[in-house]
Amino acid sequence: MPGATIVSRDWDDVAEGTPLNTGLGTSAQGQELHEPLRGWSSFSATFRVMFKEEGRKSIEFAKKRQIVLFPLLLTLITALTTVGLQFLVGDSSAQVADIEQKTFTWGELRFALHLPLLMFSLGMGTFAFIGHDAIVHRAGTKNYLLAAPALQPLPNSVAHFAYFIKDLCFYVMLILSPVIAGMALGILLETFNGVNTPLAWSSLPWTWLAMIITLGQGLAFAFLGSALWMRGRPYTIFGPLAIVAFGVAVGLGQVNLDGVLWGLYVQSNQSPLIAAAALAGCVVIGLLASALIIDDFDVSVVQREEMFVPIYNRLAFLGDGEIRLIVAKEFVDLFRSGSIKKMTVSYAVPLLVLLGMAWLVDFAEAPIPINLLSYAPFLGFFGFNFYSWLTILDSPEFMNGLPLRVPQLIRAKVIVYFLATSWISLIFIVLMAWQLDEWTSLPTSIIVMFANSIYIVALTAFLMGLRPNKAIFDASVMIWFWIGTVLPLLGLFLLSFTQGDVSLYGNWWERASQDGLAATSAMYDQSMVEQGYKGMIAISVCLLGASALLWKLMDRRWGKAEFSN
Amino acid sequence: MVESEAPLVMANDMAKKYGDFIALHPLNVEVHAGEFFGVFGPNGAGKSTFIKLLTGQLRPSKGQIEVLGVDAVADPQKVKANIGIVPESESPPSFLTPKEFLEFVARLRRVEDIEAKVEHWLDWFGMDEKRDTMCKDLSKGQRQKVMLAAAFIHKPKLLFLDEPFANLDPIYQRKCRQWLLDHVKDGGTIFLCSHVLEMAERMCNRMAIINDGRVLAAGTVKGLKKNEQETLEDVFIRLVGRSIEDVEREEKANETNEGSEEE
Repeated sequence: MPGATIVSRDWDDVAEGTPLNTGLGTSAQGQELHEPLRGWSSFSATFRVMFKEEGRKSIEFAKKRQIVLFPLLLTLITALTTVGLQFLVGDSSAQVADIEQKTFTWGELRFALHLPLLMFSLGMGTFAFIGHDAIVHRAGTKNYLLAAPALQPLPNSVAHFAYFIKDLCFYVMLILSPVIAGMALGILLETFNGVNTPLAWSSLPWTWLAMIITLGQGLAFAFLGSALWMRGRPYTIFGPLAIVAFGVAVGLGQVNLDGVLWGLYVQSNQSPLIAAAALAGCVVIGLLASALIIDDFDVSVVQREEMFVPIYNRLAFLGDGEIRLIVAKEFVDLFRSGSIKKMTVSYAVPLLVLLGMAWLVDFAEAPIPINLLSYAPFLGFFGFNFYSWLTILDSPEFMNGLPLRVPQLIRAKVIVYFLATSWISLIFIVLMAWQLDEWTSLPTSIIVMFANSIYIVALTAFLMGLRPNKAIFDASVMIWFWIGTVLPLLGLFLLSFTQGDVSLYGNWWERASQDGLAATSAMYDQSMVEQGYKGMIAISVCLLGASALLWKLMDRRWGKAEFSN
Repeated sequence: MVESEAPLVMANDMAKKYGDFIALHPLNVEVHAGEFFGVFGPNGAGKSTFIKLLTGQLRPSKGQIEVLGVDAVADPQKVKANIGIVPESESPPSFLTPKEFLEFVARLRRVEDIEAKVEHWLDWFGMDEKRDTMCKDLSKGQRQKVMLAAAFIHKPKLLFLDEPFANLDPIYQRKCRQWLLDHVKDGGTIFLCSHVLEMAERMCNRMAIINDGRVLAAGTVKGLKKNEQETLEDVFIRLVGRSIEDVEREEKANETNEGSEEE
């Protein structure tokens, strides 16, 4: 029997590129070769196990009780909203005489349902990035089925498609179906308590189907975008340009939003044929995105210049403690992983959209009563995404063997967030002041913006620790997060109406308190402006105080936790 | 070449580069049926890159690779479907139990009588009590057992093993070693990468020593020794140690040159 042979050659002795396959003459030596599973059979084998894996992943963080509580909470909130619909739409007994001016139309409400759902699904559907991360980190402490194609005879495209369908099903189960159940509960309450709701039973199946289509559309488009992005140029150049062009076209009213939001169109027209076509469209786009995923399991081996010590030296203002060390390490992770670009863009894009909106409103001379101070509180919300991203850059398990504690890592991430994004927020608010020509409100806006931004990230960090992405299904965390963010945000937003150019809406809040939906605007009131200003400053100071308190309480909540994300 | 002499694994000028870093210089390799072939080298020598290229986990920067008559670059899925792979550091999916993971792998690999096979391998590796524990909660050794079982479950004729016994206790090291030797005796073929030289002495009929992505020497275990007194460790240090010393000497020489230029 001939023995194995092996010999090396010099790099330059061999021509570049993979030669055309001419066959090297190996043989299976009589072994009957299996064809790998492809198509439906490989999808079905993978999908079932992935679904189980997803359930376990969610339960691991939120525990079984919370996984049940989250849909229940959604059901309850939707039931209450359904009962309250009579105050929002114009065909109910609770309305004032001038219905058209005081209430929303069904069309507007449907739009308000589908647009956020589309935004949410666009954010959750970047499966090509998720898959790449799973493959890169497969030798780490956690491994996922999405990385299975590296070793098993499973096409990467099938694994990704199974992941897409799995996520779609999961969201339908845990979010959309409880929402519909809540609507049904709201209608049932009408039967038992004489409460009026304008929602009809017959609309529920269509609403459910339409929401699934919007969700599927968002996930599919985000999947397609991420798959194209992973293929490099020219997609990485033309993709963002196309998105910006589309955004401007929507802003200028050149695109009919009914056509863009497939679910909204289906709900408005209730045609089974269109619904089937829209669903099929989502699946086809998901399939196309999957087909664009290549079987690439390369993990780049790149040598880098020393970065840790230079960054550490620049952080002298953080003292000589462990926090400074961790912050330096987090910054190295940010730069080396290439995430700094993605994260900065993802943080800046919503701000640019807000800026674009302000410009469009001004361009169209639309009388929308929003001023600089109204925008300021919203910036904090984008911090949640940035912080979430920071927690998945690296597995922190190795820190379990070091003299460090989880609260220190959480605090370091909050500091990194603040250092990495505060300049973007500042530039944005200054640009916004220039766009709106509201320079006098700028100092207050900066205070409001930073107070809100620090507070929301501190609250996220306090409630969710190192696992904000998994906390989405934890009902108790989400309740506290909702209370902790919506109330101050709403307060600041409403008080902002008392500031700036108030000629349009005057003492809107005061009148609305007195007359409810029958309120009308009144003239400018100096004392109300002063009170509103004081109120905003007071809320901002409270938020800063709350941030400091959360900072302190971090030890109590996470002091005994182990490093794990 | 007659069918019986045709190799199972063959690579022609197979090489891998990451940016400017050459992980594996072009190499030609042939492995035949019934061989237990080992590639040994220090940490970072390029062993894992070597095995990943042959098994279709990585695309080569240069060269051709063929396994069992299948082009591993053009159809890596088919190669993976007909071989067994034990990776160096990869764990089974964290949120599946060993039983579920083996069922998943068996299904993908079209194994017949899945339940019996899964039971057999769980039992063989002494994992009965851990069958329903999520893999993330297993010890490293137990996770390695699951990976070994996943590579054996479809009884592949050709196995690629990268540090297969890492974290295994001596009992299971011996048990696996014997299983692999029996497998080769029954006509199976094994391609192994490791830095544990004891494995070469006990198991391999041919071996190669690589460092810095280059083959330094290859042949039978006996043939690599200069004389009967020389151990395999001596051979390894003679080949690899010297190459490391060469690098250090070159670096020192460069530093001296730079220093004198600055002066």
